[in-house]
Formats: sequence, C-alpha cells, structure tokens
Amino acid sequence: HSGVVKRRSKSQSYRRSIRTCFGVASGLGLTPALTARRMNTSRKAPRSQNITEKVKPEHLELLVKTEWQLSYVTPLYQFRHTQLKSYSRQLSAFIAAEKQEGLAVEVGGLQNTFKVSFSVLQGLAETSDDPETVLIQVQSKPMFARQEDPPKTVWCGWLSCINGNPEYLQSLPKDFTCLPLFCSKGAEDLSSLVKSWLQRTFDCCFGPLDINQTTLQWLAALWTNCHMETNIQNLKMIWTLPVLPPLQVTYTVDSDDVLDLWRSTRESSAEKSREAEDEVCIDFSEVTRFMQGLMSHFYRHFRVDLSAGELNQVSSALGSAKVNGKIKISSSRYLISIFSLLTECALLKMPI
Amino acid sequence: MDNSAKHLLQRLVRRIPVSMLKSTLDKWERLTAEKRKSLDFTQSKWIITQELVALYITENPNQGMWHTFQLVEPEDDAHSVELMQFKELFKSHLRELQRNVSVKIKKHTDQAVWIRVAWGDGLSSPNHLKATYVVLYLQTPYVFVNALSSKHKPLLLQALTLSTRHQQIKAANLSGQKLTALRDLLMRQYQQVKLRVEKVQAEASANRHRMARETFGDGMLPALQSAVFKLETKFKGPTNEAMTQRDEPFICSVKFSSSNLLESLRHCASSGIASTPVTPMLSSIPLKGRNYFVITDNVLTA
Repeated sequence: HSGVVKRRSKSQSYRRSIRTCFGVASGLGLTPALTARRMNTSRKAPRSQNITEKVKPEHLELLVKTEWQLSYVTPLYQFRHTQLKSYSRQLSAFIAAEKQEGLAVEVGGLQNTFKVSFSVLQGLAETSDDPETVLIQVQSKPMFARQEDPPKTVWCGWLSCINGNPEYLQSLPKDFTCLPLFCSKGAEDLSSLVKSWLQRTFDCCFGPLDINQTTLQWLAALWTNCHMETNIQNLKMIWTLPVLPPLQVTYTVDSDDVLDLWRSTRESSAEKSREAEDEVCIDFSEVTRFMQGLMSHFYRHFRVDLSAGELNQVSSALGSAKVNGKIKISSSRYLISIFSLLTECALLKMPI
Repeated sequence: MDNSAKHLLQRLVRRIPVSMLKSTLDKWERLTAEKRKSLDFTQSKWIITQELVALYITENPNQGMWHTFQLVEPEDDAHSVELMQFKELFKSHLRELQRNVSVKIKKHTDQAVWIRVAWGDGLSSPNHLKATYVVLYLQTPYVFVNALSSKHKPLLLQALTLSTRHQQIKAANLSGQKLTALRDLLMRQYQQVKLRVEKVQAEASANRHRMARETFGDGMLPALQSAVFKLETKFKGPTNEAMTQRDEPFICSVKFSSSNLLESLRHCASSGIASTPVTPMLSSIPLKGRNYFVITDNVLTA
C-alpha cells in the first residue's frame, strides 16, 4: 500500500454518477456545488401504462406518432392555468402584430389569419407537484377561405412536467410554474414567435434540449426492456464516425436477440437486491454493459470501434430519438415513462 | 524563507509607512520589477506581507523541503485538463473538504502551475505565512509539495487527484530542497518516455496509412455510397458468457453509408478507428466489388 489516498467524500456514488452520466457531449462541469439535481443513475423499468382513460383520445392522437422538437424552458412567472383564454387572445394579437411589422411568416400568404388556442392537456401530470400540461395550437385560415373550410393547424406545441423532481419543484417560489419540457412541431418562425411571446410574458428562457449520449443509451436499454411486454420489432441505432467523408453506421438488431442480450447483462448483476417484481430497477452500469455488448459484437466482425463515434439516433417500434432533440413516441403505453426521462433532462438544464 | 525571517518581514512592513513602502521595496531589489508591479499597495499591510512572502518563495523555490507525488490512473479526459478547468475544480474540491481555506493559483512562464494554499481552522482565518505550496505541470503526472502538515495532507492530495482527473496519487519517493533539481530530474525522464511513446505512435500511424492504402487504393476512389451486411452469426462478446453459449445466431444488420464509402473506410483504417489489417468483411467491398453480404458463421473467414 503506497500511501494511496482513500476518497473521503461521503457521497462516493454521487461522484461516480456524475462521471457516468455527464458524458463528453454534455458540457456540464463537475462542480459539486450543484443541488441534488443530477441525472438518475438508476430508474424503474418503464411499464406499459394504459393512459387512454386519463387522456382524451384526440389529445393522444396528437401526441403519438409525431416527431417533436424538444426545448427546455425555465419556470414561468405568474402563469395561470385559469387565464388560458386571455393568453390565446394575446398570442394571436402578437402574431398578427409581428406579421404587420413585416416579419415574414412562412406558412400561407400574408392574407392568412392566425388563431391561437391555449388549452389544458389533462392526464399527463403524474404527481401532485406536476403542473397540468398546457397545449398551444396555432390555426391558420386563408383570408378568402370559404366558411365551411376548417382552419388548419399549422403549429402545435405543449409545455409539460412529468414526474418532475419534487425537491426542485417544491423549492420554487410560489409564483413560478415549472413546465420545463417544451415540445413543438410546425414552422420554425411560428416556434420563434411563440417562444418570444412566452419569454416576454412570463419572464422565462428557452434553450434547445439535445438528447445526449447517456439519454440515447438509456432509451436503447429501456425500449429493449419493453420488448418483454410489447413487441418492439427491432432496435435500430445510428452512429456517425468522425472520418472524411463522415461515415454513418446503422446497426439494427432483431428484437428477440437484443432482449436476450439485455437480459444477460441484467442477470450478471442479479445478485443486487430487488424490490417486488413490479419495481424492477435498472442501473446505468447495466445500460453501459449492454451497449458494450452490442459494440463488442460489432467489433468482432468489422474491427471498427463504434465508441470512437457518436450515437445519433435510437429507434424501435415504440419510437425514435435523435441527438438533435427530436423525439417520436409511437405507442401511448410508454409515453409517460419516456417523457418522465425527458422532463428529467429538461430540469437538469435549469440554471438555478 | 524560515519563520523568523517571515516574522521579521512582517514587523518591518508594519513599521514602514504605507507611503514609503513601495519605494523601499524598489530599493530592496530582491524582487523583479514585474513582481513588484503585481503588488497592490491599497491592501492591508497584513495582506501585503503575505504576498511578499509568497513572491519571495516563488522566486526562490530551492528552499524548505519539497516532496514529490505522482498522479496515477488517469481518467479518459485527464490529458485534456486545462488551466481554467483545473483551477475551478481544485478550488471547489478543496473547499468542500475544508471550508476555511484560501487558494491562489497562478501559471508561470515555464508552464509550472503554482498553488498557494493557506489553511484556516475553526475561527481563525487562513494563514498565508504558513501556506502550503504546490507546483505541478498540467500535462505531467508529477506534483511537488512544500510545507504540508499531516493534518492537511489527505485533503490536499484528494483535491489534487480529483481536479487533475486521476484516480489515485502516491508518494514518489523523491524529496529535496532544490525544487528545480527534482523537477529537472523527473522532466527529463518524462521527456524520454514521451519521446519514445511519440516514436512508437508515429510508426504505428505510418503502418496504418500504408495498410489503408493497400486495402482500399490510392487517390480518388469510386463513390460507392453504401454497403449492407446481414449478420447471422453467433454472438461474440468477450465478457458475456450467457450470450456466447447461445446456439442461436444473433440476428442483426449493419449498413455503412457515406458520400464516398471507400474513402471513409480508408480513413477509418488510417486513423485507427478501424483496426489494421483491415478485416476481410470490409476489404471484400473493394476486392470483390460487392456491397451486399450475408454473413453466417461458416462464411466469416471468407
């Protein structure tokens, strides 16, 4: 023993979790002065949840099978769920005013009128600390449209907080509403206008929510785990290797085989205690071993090290996730689980 | 500078009126002009004294007793730690371990990073006259420490280990009064190791480039855009017994795509992302002029 220093820090696993979770892409420093908000190193396996009772069918239809662009937003100051009609009017007026200013709005011609509607998307808030999800839709109607022509929804976005960290949520001052996850789809200039209005009205800040390597790996493992309940058909992963010209590697594994691999990596850590059968917990170290297994098999054939590249996309029959912050959920059964994970990612971006 | 000299300096600074302090130090000529400029005479005399002592020590490092430590087991990003990052990490780690510390970090022109840690305890404020000095060079594993009490040793070593992104630190069994001698001895040794490593790397790189060109060809390559491999082989993973014992094949498919696949693959080989010699799986693309393959365990060697 050559005078090696033993770590004294009482939260040793805390440091390890920071190291494993904050990959190179993250850019977050290792300052220990952060609050307890850090990505969980262990989470419950997503269970198939039937949310068709909780969420209206038209809302579900809106949410699934659509690719959403993700952003994070800081807590909203003096936002009231009871003022949604007023917000609808205000945002409509704002968009109209910006158009008058000559700000080109891509969708439709200058003759289009935009109508905004804010509504509550009930059923997604999981805990008593989660505020209700807010849905914003922008409809457009050409000026000379006939009466019976229905207005077209040209932009859609929603703000939510699903299974948000209760410690953080409760620590916020009373006048703040935390809906950190912002999903949008539609014309980019409308997205900018909506964000702009929200920023000035509620004194908040938006930023892109990239889906980092850690999260993509979680999704690969979690979706594979779901194959026990729901057929995921296959697990597809897309890497980019940093060569010239850039090389894209699409690695697709059959669902039963990838589940066997996942199970085998879990079994090797089966000695750890498990709670009741329904509370199966997955630790990030299992996710890492799973990914290493996949990359090993690949290496044995091609002698190419995938870890030299970047994982850009993970998809399965349950959905797809891309590193540039685009997510699609194909089955409502796992919507809550996946968006809980994304809420966690959004909360990590909070500057406080 | 020993304790009596420090106390003498302290009393002198106290006696000399502030208005005359600057000119007196100029006349003293023990500090370079540059160092004298860095002193802020608007501060309290106590602080000025501490800074003088610190300046003196950094100008005259071959005093006291320096002990060497070596950082081992670097993390993946240990080599890319740069000064700003190190400063932040070191200060926050140390403050977490002991609240009442004062840390000053400065990089000197010879790339040496000098750290001065003044320890306070309980209610007394950090004492810079009894400070610990640490000297390290960021891209090397050696750390030189002076005036470190056994009480503070574990704290300092832990902070150093974490902030340089290593797993452990150990005593290097090299001590002496002359910091410059210790440093030169180790740096020379380290330089030699570095040169050898660089030479080996250069040779390996030349080999890779040669093999890449041999496999894929020189110059412009036909702009093939994709290749697909359907794999129906048994799972291959070194540490996974359960899967390797499986009889059934691990069914998967791999598609490589690029605006010029052969150039990408050649670059993979020359840069080391693809191990050389290039596997027959990939070399079959140019050699056999094919880009669709079904691989079973029997054909793996083909």
